[in-house]
Amino acid sequence: MTLIVIIIKFLTIILGSIFAGFIGSLTGLGGGTVLVPILTLFYGIPFIFAAGASLISTIATSAGSASAYTKKKIANIRIGIGLEIATTTGAIAGSLTLITIDKNHLIFLVYIIFGIVLLFSLIPTIRKIGSEVPPETKPDWTTRVFQLTGQYYDERMKQTVKYKGIRWWLGEIIMFFAGFVSGLLGIGSGALKVLGMDWAMNLPMKVTTTSSNFMIGITAATGSSIYWYEGYINLFIAAATAIGVLIGAFFGAKVLVRISNQNIRWVFFAILSFLGFDMVFKGFHLANFIITFSLADQFYISIIISIIMIGLLYINTKRKTFQKVNKNEKSR
Amino acid sequence: MKNHDDEIIISYFLKGGVMISVSFLVLGVILMFVQNGGDGFTLSQMSSYRYALNHGIDSKAVPLTGLFTGLESLDGLYFITFGLWTLIFTPITVVFIGWISFLSDKNYRYVIMATIVLFNLLFAMLIIPRFIA
Repeated sequence: MTLIVIIIKFLTIILGSIFAGFIGSLTGLGGGTVLVPILTLFYGIPFIFAAGASLISTIATSAGSASAYTKKKIANIRIGIGLEIATTTGAIAGSLTLITIDKNHLIFLVYIIFGIVLLFSLIPTIRKIGSEVPPETKPDWTTRVFQLTGQYYDERMKQTVKYKGIRWWLGEIIMFFAGFVSGLLGIGSGALKVLGMDWAMNLPMKVTTTSSNFMIGITAATGSSIYWYEGYINLFIAAATAIGVLIGAFFGAKVLVRISNQNIRWVFFAILSFLGFDMVFKGFHLANFIITFSLADQFYISIIISIIMIGLLYINTKRKTFQKVNKNEKSR
Repeated sequence: MKNHDDEIIISYFLKGGVMISVSFLVLGVILMFVQNGGDGFTLSQMSSYRYALNHGIDSKAVPLTGLFTGLESLDGLYFITFGLWTLIFTPITVVFIGWISFLSDKNYRYVIMATIVLFNLLFAMLIIPRFIA
């Protein structure tokens, strides 16, 4: 191979990573969730190299965006570090599981798990459960013992929001799984972290997303060092993805503020669900199990399924808002 | 965290870590292309993923003990290695600053919790590699 071909190869990885960082930041799922499918499905990179490059790139985006949020004092570092006990333990367990799976030549399992995790993490992101500020709840014993209180200044509402977290133990359990998924699949698993703090601990959405942002970096650092010694990081790929995802996430954050048309996000969700289905099919293909399509067929079937699924979800959401508007007419 | 200046310090550490890391990565990539590889591997070996996978051309093949001699001899691969390890250490500094901050607040419950997190991180870095390598 000549040098020019290799340079082009390097630049295409950077381009793919910019795309992954951009979509990851716009949909709130993080760069890794998009990067791993792109690298494995379109660049022919073996899963373990894709996971290694993705996990280490996740640190860059996490640290980059967390630096902005901690300065504004929205992220709660105390609660975050407390929950890191579970995520780091989970990350160790997850990456050791990946190593075991890899040594036993069962890597097709990881493809299927990845696809399923990606598809399931779309659902809460689309529905966007939880309002900005959660309803006031009675503090429980963990609120006092683990000091789950805090406050931040909301720029849009122009007031200081005080909050109290509850069910610390449930948060820790979910965080363990978030860490496990992160170490197993080489992603930041921000969706699971948000679920843990938003749904389980009843923290405000702003605190949840910003705190999970810097927690992702610590979790990914744990997994990355294990990946490093196991030889899962190809320096050629990792250098390209780290730079690319960082650029993509930077532009994603700039665009996110200006985006007013919510319909654009549906296109991104369609792309993500396509990647999820394609990962599952690729897993089946590698395992020679029940359904094996040729690679081209996989591609088209995934496209069709994802268009149908996102289409139905889109219609469903629109119908609900439509019903609300027409409620008065119907009652007449 | 009572003292809110600590959050500003953390923010600077995060930003600084990413900047140092990215500059080393970019330098490393340029050096790697100029010298057609590094640490005894050629570029075409590294960029043929299947070949690299089967012949162990990955992070395991880059000894961290040779990091500084590699940097001195302007080896691109070691510049990338340094950049990636700076990235790994960047979030750890957050936990460390948090630990110091909890200690000065006399918040001993959280000092213990931050210690457990740091222990997990060091466990993953120093102890687990002995068993998997």
